Amino acid sequence: MEYQKAAELNGLCKGKIVTEYLCRNGFSELTVDSKKVSVQHKTEASRKEAEDESRLPALEAAYTTILRGLGENTDRQGLLKTPLRAAKAMQFLTKGYHETIYDVLNDAIFDENHEELVIVKDIDMFSLCEHHLVPFFGKVHIGYLPSKKVVGLSKLARIVEIYSRRLQVQERLTKQIAMAISEALQPVGVAVVIEAAHMCMVMRGVQKMNSRTVTSAMLGVFREDPKAREEFLALTKGAQ
Amino acid sequence: MERSKQKQMNESENEADSAINGHFDGRVKIPGWSAGGAAGTPSTAPSSSVMESWREERTRSLEDNELSLPSIAAAYTTILRGLGEDPQRQGLLKTPWRAATAMQFFTKGYQEKIIDVLNDAIFDEDHDEMVIVKDIDMFSMCEHHLVPIFGRVHIGYLPNKRVLGLSKLARIVEIYSRRLQVQERLTKQIAVAITEALQPAGVGVVVEATHMCMVMRGVQKMNSKTVTSTMLGVFREDPKTRDEFLTLIRS
Repeated sequence: MEYQKAAELNGLCKGKIVTEYLCRNGFSELTVDSKKVSVQHKTEASRKEAEDESRLPALEAAYTTILRGLGENTDRQGLLKTPLRAAKAMQFLTKGYHETIYDVLNDAIFDENHEELVIVKDIDMFSLCEHHLVPFFGKVHIGYLPSKKVVGLSKLARIVEIYSRRLQVQERLTKQIAMAISEALQPVGVAVVIEAAHMCMVMRGVQKMNSRTVTSAMLGVFREDPKAREEFLALTKGAQ
Repeated sequence: MERSKQKQMNESENEADSAINGHFDGRVKIPGWSAGGAAGTPSTAPSSSVMESWREERTRSLEDNELSLPSIAAAYTTILRGLGEDPQRQGLLKTPWRAATAMQFFTKGYQEKIIDVLNDAIFDEDHDEMVIVKDIDMFSMCEHHLVPIFGRVHIGYLPNKRVLGLSKLARIVEIYSRRLQVQERLTKQIAVAITEALQPAGVGVVVEATHMCMVMRGVQKMNSKTVTSTMLGVFREDPKTRDEFLTLIRS
């Protein structure tokens, strides 16, 4: 499927975690193994924390090199612990690599007989540009047309967090969010719109303060039916 | 290397001012400040710290930039690996170089001196009313987390026979903000630079900024803003002048 490739592009272990998830057809297989999975995830989560800790010294050394290379004095009071803080900050800003959709969605899918549009808008999003390692941030609007299954609302925001806390390209981020929801719920359609300001364009380079980049991913009925798309866009317009 | 020796010298001289960046001496003794008093002619009894900062040495040159680029890029490659990413994938292939160049751009304030920027644009004008340049967009880097800070700077000064080209105020902001900074220090450095350049009757600087280190991580408060101000000379002494300045930057 064409969709699979985009999700493989970033993630730990070269996307093995994500491809494993994509190979299954939905959550029915998962419910059988749900207990085993949750135990696995606990140990995995603590292993990842330990991994983070073990990588910290290398990151710290790298930041010290950077500070010196920029001509700063790494012994002055304000910069003494900066390599450590910067390394931890960078790990926090890329914590999405450790998280999987499993962890976040496992229990919050409910059978509801609702077949009208559900929108969660104005989800603040912060990510890192993979080309310059500089933040870009903005808002995400998500809408989906359920087909018998709805998802806990905060889970949509959590999906955004997982994919945005990585080194990203806005186009890929949009697609990954849309695909994750699509595969978790098999809805009739999913629409994701992201409007963001890229610091790599605002703080450096062409330096245009007020420019915003808007990307969207329309899947299912939102791609086919212009009226559904219009309804979504009209309802999210008030936000911007 | 000569540069590091110079740094060490400065450090031992200014022990109290450990929170400085570049070679700028944070201590400023402004001669002749008194309530409503003018500073008189520029060269009356300047203190040594004032002259020192005027003669501030660059810490970095363009050649330094080129020379250090490979090591910074290598450090970024290490960081990418340390985060669990694959530096060989297409989107990340040139990222270490781009990130290193970007970081050098964000700290280009270390390459510039006030004296280069201001040298010609000071004019003798018989104007003694407040001059304000507001809403100057400012982008800086938090020295604690290496994450951007951005916001606006409002500058006002009461000239004393000498006025400054308006864009030079914005250039002073650029020089000091494109460094690893702390907002308090940035505000003070801008105010002091203008004071030393013009010896005006008073200077007021207000910086209002959003710190990504608070918004993107840590306490994660999206809408918080940090406001710092420095009032020197008549702006500090006379509440009415300060009021006028603050009202004019609000409107």
